Amino acid sequence: METLQNLAHGFSIFLQPMNLFYGFLGVLMGTLVGVLPGLGPAAAIALLLPTTFYAPKVGSFIMLAGIFYGAMYGGSTTSILVNIPGETASVITCLDGYQMSQKGRAGPALGIAAFGSFIAGTFGVLGLMLFAPTLADWALQLGPPEHFSLAVMSLTLVTYVSRGSIIRSLVMACVGVIMSTVGMDPFTTRTRFTFGLPALLDGFEIVYVAMGLFGMSEVLVNLQRAIKSETVNTQIRSLLPTLQDWKDSAKPVARGTVIGFFLGIIPGFGGVVPTFLSYALEKKLSKHPEKFGTGTIEAVAGPESANNAGASGSFIPLLSLGIPTGPSMALLLGALMIFGVQPGPLLISSQPDLFWGVVASMYVGNAMLLILNLPLIGVWVQILKAPYSILYVLIVILCQIGAYSINNRVSDVLLINLFGIVGYYMKRYEYEGAPLILGLVLGGMLENALRRALMFSYGNPAIFITRPISALFLLTALVLLFFPLLTGKKIGEKAIEMQDN
Amino acid sequence: MRELRSGILFFALAVLALWESVRAGLGTLREPGSGFLSFCAGSVLLILSAVLLCRGWKRSDSLPAHSRRVILAVLALLAYSLALEFVGFLPATFLLIAVLLEIGEARRWWAQAVMSALITLLVYLVFGLLLHVHFPKGFWRM
Repeated sequence: METLQNLAHGFSIFLQPMNLFYGFLGVLMGTLVGVLPGLGPAAAIALLLPTTFYAPKVGSFIMLAGIFYGAMYGGSTTSILVNIPGETASVITCLDGYQMSQKGRAGPALGIAAFGSFIAGTFGVLGLMLFAPTLADWALQLGPPEHFSLAVMSLTLVTYVSRGSIIRSLVMACVGVIMSTVGMDPFTTRTRFTFGLPALLDGFEIVYVAMGLFGMSEVLVNLQRAIKSETVNTQIRSLLPTLQDWKDSAKPVARGTVIGFFLGIIPGFGGVVPTFLSYALEKKLSKHPEKFGTGTIEAVAGPESANNAGASGSFIPLLSLGIPTGPSMALLLGALMIFGVQPGPLLISSQPDLFWGVVASMYVGNAMLLILNLPLIGVWVQILKAPYSILYVLIVILCQIGAYSINNRVSDVLLINLFGIVGYYMKRYEYEGAPLILGLVLGGMLENALRRALMFSYGNPAIFITRPISALFLLTALVLLFFPLLTGKKIGEKAIEMQDN
Repeated sequence: MRELRSGILFFALAVLALWESVRAGLGTLREPGSGFLSFCAGSVLLILSAVLLCRGWKRSDSLPAHSRRVILAVLALLAYSLALEFVGFLPATFLLIAVLLEIGEARRWWAQAVMSALITLLVYLVFGLLLHVHFPKGFWRM
């Protein structure tokens, strides 16, 4: 009953005209980002974050959240129509979605992707609404040792599921943690790693680091590859799936929703992994597994539902524990801090307008996305034809202005460009940006919890293993680190290999 | 090549982190100092970079050459970062956009200039006038 009252309060917040506008703008931008290859949700959130400094925090967060889950919808459009995923969570949709489109069934493929996403997204929000407050209540019992172990486990999970070698991912996580200590020590106000440079006194801002690593570097990599605008020749007739399509897709949508939602909660596992698992499961359960890859609707319905349910699920650890599950969530965490909101278990009770407003916005946002993605599909197809030579200029300029407007400092413009070059080299040398961003964001929590726990225990490090929940988190991290050393393979490596192919 | 080069870089970064952590103060286990966490992370980074160095020593792989477009874009961006304060937002952004448009696709010079002016004007209207971002005016106060 209390939940329903809170939800009604959330709707009263979201249905205010300005918040409704921010919500619509968010899902619109998200769809755009999803449709355009070469610009992911993390880059888009980083790009638009500085524009929210001038807007109220609830409306701003509603908009940024809309970009994230909106991108999950839009990503399938390019996968189905031109065989290029708009963002990584739609990679698997290329396999059968594009084949359906080649057979003249682009409409039902786009339709089931949108309806599946809507159903999964709505159930995902329902789960968020029910689970997040419970998890936050439980998390109130956790102390500094558990916070430290939770941050270690989250970092390990993210490094574990990153592409490529685990050593390289760990290197990135360590660099991120070291970067988080740059600037003033909050305990002693002593400066560290500033080397006399005033620009480093406040530490590294997540906004320009993320914009550089995800936005600018992507532009440079695309310049290296010489991306061209796409030619879309596919004729889209009816977008409504047939009764048989619905029969074939009902169970994959349901299974995809469950897989996506629960994996979305685990740091590092949201996004790509649930879509591959859903595909593999559907293929295993199908009476005609040989048809997978030739244009079966189940192979579109399952993964597309999984990625949207995962998007909703990943808000649970963010809003109830202050733990991001990936780079986009890390940026949303950074946004909360910029808005002056303290992330953690108290967020839901201390900021009910923000939490319930966002939950309500996600229910309505999912419906908005259905309208944006089905009747307006023609508009997105036209946008796909926009020349990249102009698009990339707009991305670069938005990045420059975004970095400058954080503190009105020219040195931040230099920093974003330097991080863009670093990001380009990271891609060239096959290092992932996600562990670095997570290290940078979680570093503050890690340091705070580590120092408090050690002071609390009078310098006895055994406190991390004598408290059961902390020990469980650390044990999980250890198993994940040593599992690849014992077996030579990571869990889900096959999925990542498939993605690379 | 990739692991050897990056291993050297991260090894140097780890040494720098350890040195700066000691300078900032490690403290004690009972009262950890400002450099405690960065010292722990730096130590792990040192070990990992040593592993990268060892692996990189045995492997040989090649890297593709940088495209001319990337080099030009990087130079333009660095020049923009350094000149923005002195030249001012409007002229510097106009020039950057013109250069980036040329790097992206060759068009007639006047077409590049018109597009560049339009994009500069658009971003100035949105960010400068609508969102009140105070851009640097440069030496000619534009």
